Amino acid sequence: MNQSICLLGLNHRTAPVEVRERYALPDVDPREQGLIAPGSGVKEAMILSTCNRVEFLSVGREKPGMALEILRFWADFCGGNVHELQAHTYQYNNLDAVSHLFSVASSLDSMVLGEPQILGQLKQAYRRSVKQGTSGVVLNRLLHKSFSVAKRVRTETRVASNAVSISFAAVELAKRIFGDLSNQTAMLVGAGEMAELAATHLLSAGVKRLLIANRTHARGCELASRIQGEAVLFAELFERMAEADIIISSTGATQTVIQRRDVQTIMKRRRNRPMFFIDIAVPRDIDPDVNNLDNTYLYDIDDLKEVVEENLSQRKTEAAKAMVIVQEETEKFACWLRSLDLKPTILDLLASGERIARKELKKTLRRLGPKAEDPQVREALETLVLSLGHKLYHQPLDFLKRRAREEDAGTRYIDITRRMFNLDNEPPAPDAHPDRRQPKPDED
Amino acid sequence: MNLTETLELIVLALYFLGAVLHILAMLVRGPLLRYGGQAATLLGFGLHTLDIGLYMVRYEAMALGHGPFYFSLLAWTLIIVSLVLNWRLRMHFLALTALPLALIIFSFATTLPTVEVVLPESFMGLWFGLHIGTLFFSICLLAMAASSGVVYLFLENKIKGKAKITGLSKDLPSLSLFDQVNAWAVNLGFPLFTVGLLSGFLWAHFTWERFFSWDPKEVAAIIVWLLFAFLFHQRLVNGWRGRKPAKLAIWIFALSLVSMLGINFFLETHHSFQP
Repeated sequence: MNQSICLLGLNHRTAPVEVRERYALPDVDPREQGLIAPGSGVKEAMILSTCNRVEFLSVGREKPGMALEILRFWADFCGGNVHELQAHTYQYNNLDAVSHLFSVASSLDSMVLGEPQILGQLKQAYRRSVKQGTSGVVLNRLLHKSFSVAKRVRTETRVASNAVSISFAAVELAKRIFGDLSNQTAMLVGAGEMAELAATHLLSAGVKRLLIANRTHARGCELASRIQGEAVLFAELFERMAEADIIISSTGATQTVIQRRDVQTIMKRRRNRPMFFIDIAVPRDIDPDVNNLDNTYLYDIDDLKEVVEENLSQRKTEAAKAMVIVQEETEKFACWLRSLDLKPTILDLLASGERIARKELKKTLRRLGPKAEDPQVREALETLVLSLGHKLYHQPLDFLKRRAREEDAGTRYIDITRRMFNLDNEPPAPDAHPDRRQPKPDED
Repeated sequence: MNLTETLELIVLALYFLGAVLHILAMLVRGPLLRYGGQAATLLGFGLHTLDIGLYMVRYEAMALGHGPFYFSLLAWTLIIVSLVLNWRLRMHFLALTALPLALIIFSFATTLPTVEVVLPESFMGLWFGLHIGTLFFSICLLAMAASSGVVYLFLENKIKGKAKITGLSKDLPSLSLFDQVNAWAVNLGFPLFTVGLLSGFLWAHFTWERFFSWDPKEVAAIIVWLLFAFLFHQRLVNGWRGRKPAKLAIWIFALSLVSMLGINFFLETHHSFQP
């Protein structure tokens, strides 16, 4: 393999937040920094920098000391110290780097297992490297592959399903009760920070209306205007509560605010349309007995915490399944990477020529009928087609061999050749031109 | 094998395929499998309709004198009810109960020897057709409500009890959707049931010259109607929702099942399937 992939990085496990902050590389162009120079060995590079990880992915000719060179640049650029940086970084080479990148993309390496943001951040990092022109044949393929691996992991395992934050768990429960939330009204009783967070989750889940009842009305109005809710006087709490399907309570009261009999009257007025109470206050705001009424559901903070913990442990078991997918895809990528060498491409190309020649030979022999019985004729025909099949590829192969001797161009031309002659038998991409997506008429 | 038999076998096979695909779709969470299941069901339903149409054309009004025809008609009604509910409520879940049930009922229709229940001429006619049609529809609606009710109670228990929702119950539709099936079954099924009973009495009046003859099935039907009326009233007037109507729908369906099978097979009745 003449392409060597090297991944240097630090993440939330290897480095504390001060170190991550110091060595963040949010907007660096590796080309401008002279990292991709003819002599440096690095041919392609991409930098991923988020609050939980900084990773430097590079592809180039195998060269001792390349990693140190990058680390030195990195430390200098951030005004830090190489030794400190080195103590916190990990290094993966070749296939280890590939599988690491795949697990990062699938969010298997994230602090919150299965969180969805990392894929978007990775896509952004890749877009930047494309714009800067620092991604080439290998990185293009590697990143596209990592996006599809992430998608596969998400659809085939439950690593990303199940809420792992309290407010999201509440939204999921609400969906389980009401189904679609677009016709539902939510109400905040108390406008604390937690309630606000839950409210934004509910709004992004499509809740139709949001009422806010706060003891200090001004604070309620302020929050209402910020998140497009409707402030309600606290004195009218029970009047207006009948309009709400989902109630999030987080007041600082020392006694319960919402009693069973209040809810009973409200339920009568609502003609038993279900109500979902979420009590995130400590001490609790809602009488636990409310849960025993028909068509009302009450979850307090401990109940929700339990759901979240349960879900987290489920994600961990799912992550094992996801790792199998990552390994599988790494194997596939390794095959492709090996094929980028000159020799397998030559063999594949010749084999493809031979395959076509033999197919045509068979057809011709069939058409000739009795004349084809003659072994002499057969032999002559066979020699003809096979040498034609090989010789037609002579010029392209010669060209490839010459290019492969040059420093940079080899891989690119090999990649083009493989695609031009469809040596990897790949189905067209889903976003390909319609002409390409239609199955080719069979050559027979 | 004649045309009808072939057709019925194809319908059976399609319903079977539909049921299997739906179950698989649930197990492996594959929407593609479900689309396949839906396609098989729709195709089977189309052919089933054709089969029933051919039967009607061949025997005209006499069709109603054939025992197996009733089973076929009941299976057909079950499928159309589940299809309509699926379309209106986007609830694929119902196919899981409707298809296997229809499959069982329909296989009765195809395996039963064509018992020529030579029913009197009087069995035909508008009132009798109305009697059968409306009752079949409301029974099928009840079947859907009962199966949704069972799942509703199961899921509600979990949510109320704060139990973890894992495995297959994760993919279940929301509680409100299950309750909506119940609403459909009650709001539509009860009027149909009422019409079915009334047309039955009217027909009895025309043919036997008496409305009510203390037949066990008639008594059972009156009890079912009373319970059904209670449920209808509570839902409509008192806004019952959730557990209570779900439980009651299960009881009503169970009772009508008993009255349909138990009484027909084991008691002396003029609703008997026996010749």
